[in-house]
Amino acid sequence: MMIEISGLGKYYGTQKVLSDISLNVEKGDVFGIVGHSGAGKSTLLRCMNGLENYQEGSVVVKGKEVGGLNDGDMKLLRRDMGMIFQNFNLMNRKNVFDNIIFPLQIWNVPKAEAIRRTEELLDLVGLTEKKFNKVRDLSGGQKQRVGIARALALNPEILLCDEATSALDPKTTISILELLMDINKKLNVTIIAVTHQMEVVKMICNKVVILDKGKIVASGATEELFLSPGPQLRRLVADDYAVIPSGTSIRVIFPHNITNKSIITRMARELDVDVSIIGGRIEKYRDSYMGFLIINVSSADKGRIERWLVEHDIHWEELNND
Amino acid sequence: MIEELIAALWETLYMVFASTLFSGIIGSVLAILMIVTGPSGLKPNKAVYAVLDVTVNLLRSFPFIILLIAIIPLTRLIAGTSIGSTASIVPLTIAAAPFVARIMEGSLLEVDKGVVEAARSFGASTTQIIFGVMIKEALPALVLDWAVAAINLLGYSAMAGVVGGGGLGDLAIKYGYNRFQTDVMVYSVAVLIIIVQIIQYAGNAVYNKIK
Repeated sequence: MMIEISGLGKYYGTQKVLSDISLNVEKGDVFGIVGHSGAGKSTLLRCMNGLENYQEGSVVVKGKEVGGLNDGDMKLLRRDMGMIFQNFNLMNRKNVFDNIIFPLQIWNVPKAEAIRRTEELLDLVGLTEKKFNKVRDLSGGQKQRVGIARALALNPEILLCDEATSALDPKTTISILELLMDINKKLNVTIIAVTHQMEVVKMICNKVVILDKGKIVASGATEELFLSPGPQLRRLVADDYAVIPSGTSIRVIFPHNITNKSIITRMARELDVDVSIIGGRIEKYRDSYMGFLIINVSSADKGRIERWLVEHDIHWEELNND
Repeated sequence: MIEELIAALWETLYMVFASTLFSGIIGSVLAILMIVTGPSGLKPNKAVYAVLDVTVNLLRSFPFIILLIAIIPLTRLIAGTSIGSTASIVPLTIAAAPFVARIMEGSLLEVDKGVVEAARSFGASTTQIIFGVMIKEALPALVLDWAVAAINLLGYSAMAGVVGGGGLGDLAIKYGYNRFQTDVMVYSVAVLIIIVQIIQYAGNAVYNKIK
């Protein structure tokens, strides 16, 4: 187990910002922490590397209680946990190379080795040609690549991502997420990703917790959570399909293994019902695809259709007109 | 008159350079202590910060001419004498150091908190953060601070005549104002204007080069 959090509670003064948080992160996980801004996600992340203290419960990283570490052990722990930020937090007066090599200098890594490692990282994040550019001349995506390279400089086992793609445009976000997936797979780095973007969770996370007002309101494997979204998740995903006032609208969710099995037409044939398709989407989840369709049926057929869906083990939910 | 002007110029440059150097050193130490112990600092310490804060405000409240006279015993202790250019460096330094500390504190507070947090996240110590991150990031602003301090000290040094410090300001007052030698006053002030321009220009040039 990489990270074990149980019963974690944190206060700012008298205000409780985290309460009774429990979660486990295993080696190799890409663990998502999702929620609206102000939900306590970033604070939770900072409890893991000691940037924030906590008053209740325990945070155990690689077998050590973070709250009980002395200065020296805290530094050693942080060396093992890289971190990247929404606003990149690079040193603007330095060039790309000097930003990446900085942690190595802090840890007194011999110069030749530090340079070799920095070159290696530049290659990993694809910025070798920009190495002598000042970071303020880079685009957002390039800055985050520098951030990632710097966070990986000390070969950490864990990478903490604090809204790492929130300041980036959609295309750049995807390229950064692909890089993070690469890092997770090739270097076997465990990733904790704090985000409010569902695309991030879908694309890279295998496990996810949803945080609301400092409490975990849902948790589980990403695919399961999306197959049967509870009210908490639905509020976050909130898609923009209007519900037609007549009949009954049903969202049919396809897990990856039946995406290609023509369910709707089969159902229509077998039950001899008419179905209007209102909308739908297929999305990539890490390595698989998942999708949903929103159909509208006459209220008279509703019961039979829902029974058919249950019999065929298909996830569905009725959409309300509210 | 030219010789007197040149002698006064050297006195001025000597006083300003030395007091800028010393107040820069003392001010830097105070600024770093305030930054570290301040409310949002790396090691907040209310008691230490309160003492520094009040001391700095207190010293800055003194009109320079009063400070100059009030600390004559201290000046004698440090410089061995209470008159002359060298002696005037002591009150100049003591007057400017809290000012330097305050403006440096402001510049250091401007350093992006996120950059400091990033440094903490990979295990940098407080010392490494102060010298490797904060001062490095704030350096261009600090250079401008020192230029402002030097120009302020140029103004203060005019009053050094009270303790026989000499310098251009003293020349302008004694010959130009008291003896109605308008030309001496004009020349002295003209040279002072040029010095201010040079200091500010140099500060800006360095700022642009390293920012």
